[in-house]
Amino acid sequence: MNPLSDLHTDALTEIFNIGAGRAASSLSEIVGDEIKLSVPSIQFCQSSEVTAAALLIDNLHLGTVRQKFNGLFESTAMLLFAEERALEIVRDMMKSELSIEDLAEFEQEAMCELGNIVLNACLSAMADILNITLDSSLPTYSVDSSEAIVYQIICEEDQPFVLLLHINLEIEKHRSQGYLIFLLSYSSLTELISRIDGFISGIQ
Amino acid sequence: MSDNNNVKTLLVVDDSRVSRMMIRAFVLAKQPHWAIIEAASGNEAVELVAHNPPDFCTMDINMPGLNGIDAAALILEKQPKVRVVILTANIQGVNQNRATELGARFVSKPVTEKAIAQALEFFESVA
Repeated sequence: MNPLSDLHTDALTEIFNIGAGRAASSLSEIVGDEIKLSVPSIQFCQSSEVTAAALLIDNLHLGTVRQKFNGLFESTAMLLFAEERALEIVRDMMKSELSIEDLAEFEQEAMCELGNIVLNACLSAMADILNITLDSSLPTYSVDSSEAIVYQIICEEDQPFVLLLHINLEIEKHRSQGYLIFLLSYSSLTELISRIDGFISGIQ
Repeated sequence: MSDNNNVKTLLVVDDSRVSRMMIRAFVLAKQPHWAIIEAASGNEAVELVAHNPPDFCTMDINMPGLNGIDAAALILEKQPKVRVVILTANIQGVNQNRATELGARFVSKPVTEKAIAQALEFFESVA
């Protein structure tokens, strides 16, 4: 059962779009061009229900930036892009003429930076709007198969709830679709819903 | 567009219901007599304005279908007296420049009392 009402989902989508707007502004300064970054929809599910097919992941390998957030609630956040797209993003970020193969050595650092900007923009928008404080760990980057990522999600037994955000990212000529996944414990989910309720009741 | 100087009509265009609720609440707190109408997309806004032009309009950018900048351009082409505030999370310079070119005011989300005060200041400066 989805504990999020339509209004909760609307509020969260708007919060994450504000975060995406902040991230796009930062990224556009890096690449010197317009960035289109939006969160068109979010889904809620239990981690036991997550499958590669449910995530609509049709790429065998995904670049994954992970970061842990803690404060009033705790979450493991994962930003996923198809590996090939991730390298194209890196190339745009570095304004490089290097081949995708030669860029691989910069992938780790550049994707951590991209993830850090996007994840922190989204979480800081949430913290500002819901009036909470969240701290973040350093981001880590890895390339994993979709099966491995699903397995990692399922194995996070302390965080059995999943907020899945669909992300559209367009840098210069490159369009990419990614996913932002937040894993939440029961108590963190309850706290998040309580905060959103407080936020909504303040404007009704 | 209203003839009465005190009762103005504001069209709020945003695909987020929560954002529309917040804009409505903050505006009515300052201007309790204003009539507020809502549209959930750029297309809906253009259609509404064609039949019933408001005095003022707040316009989000990232919406399904017609985006807010294009919707604002269409609205201002046909109804140049409508005062438009682009109220958006899409805060890149390119969008701020587009808003200025249209003669609209750019205000960054989130929707806060301060953001709405900036919008009202723009509306009231030409009212």
